[in-house]
Amino acid sequence: MKKGNRRFLLLVLVPCFAEVFVFLVLPIIGTCLISFMEYNPLHSENSFVGINNYVRLLHDQSFFKAMGNTLVFTFSAVAINIVLALAMAVAISQFESNRTRSFFRMMVFLPCIAPMVASAVVWLRSLYEPRGGMFNALLRAFGLDGISWVGDARYLMISVIIFTLWADIGYNVILFSAGIDGIPGNLYESARLDGAGRWQLFRMITLPLLGRTTTFILLMTLISYFQMFAQFQIFAPKEGPQQSGLVMTGYIYKQAFVNKEMGYAAAISMALFAVILVVSALQQRINRVDWEY
Amino acid sequence: MTSNKKKKFYQKEGFRIRLILFLVMIAVSLIIVTPYVWMLSNSFKSTKETLVDASHLLPKDPTLDGYRKVLFDSPFFYWLRNSLIITVSDTVIILFTSTILGFLFSRFEFRGKRFLFMMLLFTMMVPAQVTMITKFILIDRIGLYDNLLALIIPAIVSAFGVYLCRQYCDEIPRELLESARIDGAGHFQVYIHIVLPQIRPAIGSLAIFTFLEIWNDYLNPLLYLSSTNKQTLPLALSFFSSQHQTDLSATMAASALIMIPTSIVFIVFQKQFIKGIAMTGMKG
Repeated sequence: MKKGNRRFLLLVLVPCFAEVFVFLVLPIIGTCLISFMEYNPLHSENSFVGINNYVRLLHDQSFFKAMGNTLVFTFSAVAINIVLALAMAVAISQFESNRTRSFFRMMVFLPCIAPMVASAVVWLRSLYEPRGGMFNALLRAFGLDGISWVGDARYLMISVIIFTLWADIGYNVILFSAGIDGIPGNLYESARLDGAGRWQLFRMITLPLLGRTTTFILLMTLISYFQMFAQFQIFAPKEGPQQSGLVMTGYIYKQAFVNKEMGYAAAISMALFAVILVVSALQQRINRVDWEY
Repeated sequence: MTSNKKKKFYQKEGFRIRLILFLVMIAVSLIIVTPYVWMLSNSFKSTKETLVDASHLLPKDPTLDGYRKVLFDSPFFYWLRNSLIITVSDTVIILFTSTILGFLFSRFEFRGKRFLFMMLLFTMMVPAQVTMITKFILIDRIGLYDNLLALIIPAIVSAFGVYLCRQYCDEIPRELLESARIDGAGHFQVYIHIVLPQIRPAIGSLAIFTFLEIWNDYLNPLLYLSSTNKQTLPLALSFFSSQHQTDLSATMAASALIMIPTSIVFIVFQKQFIKGIAMTGMKG
């Protein structure tokens, strides 16, 4: 029995963790090391340069631009996403018929099925087209001038955020809906008997009981939005006007695979990792305070 | 009497609110489908018509030219094949490794277990941007650049999948596993005959989640696949659309061919999909 145990364990663990080590752990250590090197894959020799790459970061305008854009995008898109997703999940939960509820859940999740690049291409050519696009047609219908949705540094980020909400909010609506379904119905019953209105039911029962769900959704959305990339490639293929569409992933990609400056790109990616860690730690702390209250 | 009145009032008020919410959600749904409708409409227009009037809903002179261009003048079937090979093999392999590792971490004791599990969870927190640089160098060195295997081999183990499956394995009743062992079943047989059927919901939702993630992935194919015939659908579309800037109908036909089949599968199996996606969140 003991022997069988061991053989089975080794047979599963060794290949799986060889894989985990080579493709998940080693790359983390590797990138850490490379960030202290001048590394070009085409050169035969690459030398350690100490903290030069990190010093260079501090003098790099584009890096700060990319960081700023990423933070603006992440915080505004996540905030709107969470509020709207929760609102929609609550709205959907109000319908009495099961069919209606699943119909609307299906509708909001539909865009999540499509690859983001494909949806972005459609949006670029339909809604955001400056001449015959639908958004500008709408503006003109109200007597306003059409704007350049992705060609103008002032509007590019707003356009990307609107698109991202359309493409991605379904996930969170589904997760919030599952959270709402998990709240015991008798809580609402008894509160209603006490004369609580809909708004009070939401404030006193739904919102507090969704605390854990919200924390989880917030964290996952934050982490994933920090890394958004595909839609920026479509809407701002050349970083956008005045680099208004330059985000961290795009900048890391450009430095590593276009300029072949992998050492520097590694340093930028470590900076992104640090920001994500700090933001998730802060978010955890804020939420903990909330719970105690 | 008063309570009855009150109840009626609530029902009436409830009805009004529900009606408003219903109308709002209908509007939201319309906004959601608009780009799809527009895409389909333009995919059936001629290139000339899209240049004159792209916003007109119904094509004046419907044509399949756009679809013909995508299917026969571009390596569309290669792209489809590549996407299928990568997605199906990744999903199958990840399901196997996740369930068996989940079983292992849930039901076996061995030295270094905690350490290995923590290591796995830690890799989940590291963004792809950090690992992609070294991973690229690695893949390039072992000669897998521009090879579909570059998207399959590094994706054999999913930390999230192992985590999800372990949660479900923890809930399998002890007696079930023990009685099977007493009957003389080996660990692998227990895994196949007892564990897998018991955690079927987790397998379903992990399958949907993994499939969607890999099918829609853009970053990894962009890094590792370069020749036109080796690309996957999302990657190829971004090139296709930049090459056919002026040819709206072909671009929209390509987008439709990529989006519509998966959307139909989703609509047919929407209940399972939504349940599956919801579960990945609840256990996570």
